[in-house]
Amino acid sequence: MSSNLNTLPRSGSIRRSTSSALSRLGVSAALGGVLLATVSLVNAVVAATEVAAGNEAAVAALVAWSFGVATAALATTKLGVAIVLWGIVGRIRARVETMTSVLPRLINPSQESVPAGGTHVRTPFGPADVTRHPPTELAIHRASRLLWAPMLGMGAMAVYAGLVLSVIQSSTVATDATAARALGAWVQGIQFLGEGMLLGGISFLLGTILAGLRGGGAEVQAHLERPVHTLQMPLTAKLFIGLMALGVIVEMAQFGLYAYASTLAGDPSFAILATWLGPLREFGLGLLLSGIVLALATIARVLGFQFHRVTGLIGRPASNEVTS
Amino acid sequence: MTRTTVHRTDSGVSVSRTAPAPNILQHIGRLLWLPMLAMALMAFPVGLALGLSRAGLVADGADGAMVAALGHFGTAAMFIGFASVFAAISFAIARILGVFRSGGGGIQEAAGAEVHSLRMPAAGKAFVGLMLMAMMALVAAVIGHVIVGSGLASGGTALAVGEQWALWLEGVRRVATATYLLAISLGLTTIATVLGFQITRLGELPSETAR
Repeated sequence: MSSNLNTLPRSGSIRRSTSSALSRLGVSAALGGVLLATVSLVNAVVAATEVAAGNEAAVAALVAWSFGVATAALATTKLGVAIVLWGIVGRIRARVETMTSVLPRLINPSQESVPAGGTHVRTPFGPADVTRHPPTELAIHRASRLLWAPMLGMGAMAVYAGLVLSVIQSSTVATDATAARALGAWVQGIQFLGEGMLLGGISFLLGTILAGLRGGGAEVQAHLERPVHTLQMPLTAKLFIGLMALGVIVEMAQFGLYAYASTLAGDPSFAILATWLGPLREFGLGLLLSGIVLALATIARVLGFQFHRVTGLIGRPASNEVTS
Repeated sequence: MTRTTVHRTDSGVSVSRTAPAPNILQHIGRLLWLPMLAMALMAFPVGLALGLSRAGLVADGADGAMVAALGHFGTAAMFIGFASVFAAISFAIARILGVFRSGGGGIQEAAGAEVHSLRMPAAGKAFVGLMLMAMMALVAAVIGHVIVGSGLASGGTALAVGEQWALWLEGVRRVATATYLLAISLGLTTIATVLGFQITRLGELPSETAR
């Protein structure tokens, strides 16, 4: 027989179509970002030609708005990634609903028991807690559910506000070089604060997915009236939280420093500050992206644990789980 | 193991009796996500340190060519980091897809049903292709920065030429980074597709198994 994609319950079908629409919207947004980045590439080619012609004012004007456009382009692709992740959050919920309705007809009669105070088991995916009832939601999961949307919203606003400032800066270069430098500092500071917030929002979306996997897995097991096995927080998850926090702090610090630099636009020290603030803001984004890698690795581990648990419930004895 | 392929209007599915192992790309993802992350975490501080050194040269009023050269080297280090971290994200996504493939198959096998596995969707193929293109472009930009930086440091490249190359390479880096992010969005779309398929398949299992 072949799978029939129309056999889902109604609520699942609604989530499926919404999730598919979000995936398409997210990829379209990311594609839009690539096209915007291509505009920036063309601009860079034109600016390089002006360098050869020795037209410094034109180069400065082109570079100014090119920076704004390029950062907005990368922010747009990140928004696209976030929209696709939002769709995945919906599918995780639909998966829990389906498991809750289907698994009672698949699992073996219960032979498991759990002491009143709970216990721990070792699994191939790390130690897991065993309890009678679903565990309470972790603070980081609650924060993730609450904060991903505001972070993405504020991030997008900051980046696009910076784009407008970059256009104003571009038109100021020829008339007032000092004012243009000050504006340039604001553009870089605010746009990279926005980029940091966007990556923070993506991190919180990944945290929301992890919350859905943890809470949903426990919910399914409790519904089956089986001991609730919950994977303890892996090291990758702890490092993810640390890197994300550090990355956001660095982006906030660079924003403050750029704001300070804007007051020194007419001073020789501006050039020194601007020289190291560029690498600092990129370092912050690097930390956030590294955190995202660890969040994805945690999702892979949690999923592996869940498949292992469900397979054990259906038929295979959980012989590789040793009570500690 | 008998393996046949059924053709459907909605998606291609591979059918087998036992759970499939992760495919080669997913296996590579499982092996390489951590080394790529480690490389990124080493490159970012190097890029930052080179930026700080360059600021020191600016403060000392050093030769413009040396300042420009260090700018190229610092950018190269930072973008080795970005190329690595985006590769790590892509490999981590591939690893998740591998877990879905073998885990979803394991549940079907345990239930005593035929194991249906989704064949790689178009989004998955585009994910791999775009990721490779973006990575090659970023690596090419990094190599370009090292060559131009070396030329500036040795005096073989004029300052204006170095500035031109900095602008061109910056444009290439931006397009490559955006392409990498597009690839990642396609990789995540593949995860959403696989999730949808597994939800459907799970709903079919009770009717296929006689317990």
